[in-house]
Amino acid sequence: MQERVRLTDAQINRDLLRSIFETPKWYFLLVGFLGIIVLLGFAAAGYMINRGLGVTGLNRPVFWGFFITNFVFWIGISHAGVMLSAILRLVQAEWRRPATRAAEVLTVFSLMTAMTMPLIHAGRPWRVMYWVFPYDFARGVYPNVRSALVWDPAAVFTYLTSSILFVYIALVPDIAVLRDRTTGWRHVLYSVLSLGWRGSVRQWKLQLIAGILLSAIILPIFVSVHSIVSWDFGSAMSVEGWHSTVFAPYFVIGAVHSGVSAVVTVMIILRWMFKWENYIRMEHIDALAKLLIVVATGWFFFFALEFIFGLYSLEGPEIALREMQVFQMPWKALFITFLLTSYVIPVSMWLVPKVRRNIPLMIFTTILVNIGMWIERFIIIVPGLARKQNFTFTWGGYTPSLVEITIVTATFALVTMLVLLFAKVFPLIPLGDAKEGMILHDEIKIGKVMVPAVMREE
Amino acid sequence: MHELHHPAPPSYWGMTAQELTQDVLQRHESAGRQFWTVAAVLGGLFGLGVIGFILLLSEGFDDRNVWGYYATTFAYIFIVAQSAVLISVALRMAKAHWRRPLARISELFAVVGLFNFFLLVPLLWVLPVTDGRRSIWFNWPGHSPHIWDTIGLGLLVVCGLALLFFASVPDMAAVRDHASGRRQNIYRFMAMQWTGMPHQWRKLNAGVSLLGAFYFMLLVVVHMLISVDFAMSLVPGWKDAIFPAFHAISGFHSAVAIIIVTMAILRWKTGFKKYLEVDQFWSLSKLLLALSLLWFYFWWSGFFTYWYGRQPAEISILKFLMFETYNIPFYLAFVLSFITPFVILMWNIVRKTIWGPTLAAGIVLVGTFFNAMRFYVPAYSIEDSSLHALDVVPPFNAPGVADILVIIGGLAGAVLTYMLASRIFPIISMWEMKEGLILQRMRRFMKIQIKVLAKPE
Repeated sequence: MQERVRLTDAQINRDLLRSIFETPKWYFLLVGFLGIIVLLGFAAAGYMINRGLGVTGLNRPVFWGFFITNFVFWIGISHAGVMLSAILRLVQAEWRRPATRAAEVLTVFSLMTAMTMPLIHAGRPWRVMYWVFPYDFARGVYPNVRSALVWDPAAVFTYLTSSILFVYIALVPDIAVLRDRTTGWRHVLYSVLSLGWRGSVRQWKLQLIAGILLSAIILPIFVSVHSIVSWDFGSAMSVEGWHSTVFAPYFVIGAVHSGVSAVVTVMIILRWMFKWENYIRMEHIDALAKLLIVVATGWFFFFALEFIFGLYSLEGPEIALREMQVFQMPWKALFITFLLTSYVIPVSMWLVPKVRRNIPLMIFTTILVNIGMWIERFIIIVPGLARKQNFTFTWGGYTPSLVEITIVTATFALVTMLVLLFAKVFPLIPLGDAKEGMILHDEIKIGKVMVPAVMREE
Repeated sequence: MHELHHPAPPSYWGMTAQELTQDVLQRHESAGRQFWTVAAVLGGLFGLGVIGFILLLSEGFDDRNVWGYYATTFAYIFIVAQSAVLISVALRMAKAHWRRPLARISELFAVVGLFNFFLLVPLLWVLPVTDGRRSIWFNWPGHSPHIWDTIGLGLLVVCGLALLFFASVPDMAAVRDHASGRRQNIYRFMAMQWTGMPHQWRKLNAGVSLLGAFYFMLLVVVHMLISVDFAMSLVPGWKDAIFPAFHAISGFHSAVAIIIVTMAILRWKTGFKKYLEVDQFWSLSKLLLALSLLWFYFWWSGFFTYWYGRQPAEISILKFLMFETYNIPFYLAFVLSFITPFVILMWNIVRKTIWGPTLAAGIVLVGTFFNAMRFYVPAYSIEDSSLHALDVVPPFNAPGVADILVIIGGLAGAVLTYMLASRIFPIISMWEMKEGLILQRMRRFMKIQIKVLAKPE
């Protein structure tokens, strides 16, 4: 059932620009609060850089802990943008309209946040220049370009650049609307950014072509990013459980699972904050939840493949690792929580139509998914490393320190804050798309009822 | 590029529901001489296949090498035909209106599943027990794959047939109402007292959705069982977590291809041309293109991890299945399943024709055969599956006369089964088409005619 309300263009402008022109008091309070957490994160990172990585829980043999888990997590969230925006645009799914911008913006900010993680993890971030320059200038010893660790920044940067372009191209008409409604320095800023947009037929055509072309071009990049992140692990021979052929698609679909869930969470919050009930309607949340059932089940299949083929050859070290993941505390608790939160609870709830149209339950389930997916990355990364060595006396454990917990918490505050700041400057639901949706919406009379319908241009 | 097209509505949109029923039924009932000639030729070829099968049988079950091409034929039919049912299921889930003319074409492949189930039987004698070798059954009894794969494939066949029957009930009723005598009695039975009451429609929709979802999940599981038990686990040192998923993707890929080819044949040889228009070919070709890319991605993920890992066991598998022993089928599969369809279908202007997608689909079907061949033939050429790694690489197993007869006969049998089933079930789903007539309109928008699609719910 659809709850569409006919809205005029003026009404759409007024509603969707509300986040920019009317600032409620809580907005500053919330941004300030998030800002404090972000500052705490910066302070913790500064402390860590000053004191060295010793202040973290990282130690032999577990050198990848919270930071790398968080890196993979945020890269995962960034996959929402393309999944929703590009794929749904290419397949002309009408219900994508209110979700695209939020998804793209989440992509950009989560990618930026993800990229801070390896920098912080490096302990001495300035050494990152060795990714580009020789380790040893005199002898010209360069980083190993055959390593997935070197491809990773290349893929992530490409993805970030194209995502920013993607957001910007879609934003141009909306910026022009803002230009026409502002004065002073803001007018100047929006004038520059709107690139002389007048809304002529030719401009719309170009904008449309650019959107479709970028959607198609960005798809392979989107797949490459998480595939390469997975090969950071998959190409490592020495860690049990990592060298699996299924890692690339497993990571990609897991990223889509967590990313789309995050978009639903963000959309629900936006709907509530800016009173966008007429735009982010229950039918949209319902459609996204149905999509999530398919994505989650696909992801679970890959998880099952990964697990089954981990055990397939019945090799001692691999069985020992899986046994630790599943049966030994604290991994056991994490593993059960992971299974319940990332698949069992949310999917069984989404199967019930009433849940898909219930705001509190949807926000609950989508947050659960991301708790589960964070844990998933953690239990992929850390247990294998803890058992990396052949001799039991060289095995290790890992307990995150307060510094790591603070920095990881700050990344969540950072992404939320950046999305809120973005909402203050640009509309988070594309005006043009909302208006186009209104124009293309139609109704067909069948018997005695009017059935919602949509016009198709081709 | 993305320009406003002003498409003419499909020619059948001007028809009333009654005219459509009449037209489809008329064509359904008159098969024509050519149909039976082709059926007779296929029957003859199937007979040759039976001779080939007897020749294989005469060599016994002990030497697995004899059965490599037989297993390939079984796997190929499974990959192509049993996945083909899924296309209708997936498109119905996605509520794509353009699926309507091809829904039955896809579901009818369920009967080929029944044919393929019989092909499985001899392989159960060829398949060794799992004791002492690696398998997904771990410490379960050694006959687990024999039992569970039979059950899995059997369930898939039953589910597919149930879906086909269920989704044709309204059409069976239409045939019943237009037939007389014994034919009417048969269709009366198959129509299950369908009168088109609202509660019957509700049950039909719920049943078709549930069976479809069940088929989808079952198909993916059976892909895993067949690919691992009948290929991967027979090769020592081959531990490839993505292989079942790659096998399934290859299935979806060739499923789209077989439907495009079937549509082209129907357009060419029957009067269903007006129902199967460029719209269907264009939409399916986009899917085919996407699946060609996914085919490459899944292959690449598996290959890359092995190639990068550089462990002796991994390199020997790569040499065996891809770059040395079975390099020719691999290169053919790679070119025909990925490169050629990609190069053909990347052009929208080609996708928007009948010949473009048909050509690409035909090529994909050949590529899928070589892809199946490079897994199943080598897997059956290994004498001892209980080793830890592939230390001794067996030579290339070239097909003999019996193998070629079995391949031809198997494929002919599958096509014949499909053709005969199309005599029972109208190959165009009338009720879905009529639903489409109600839910799709052309409407004037400013200066152009535009398609309007109803989206109930």
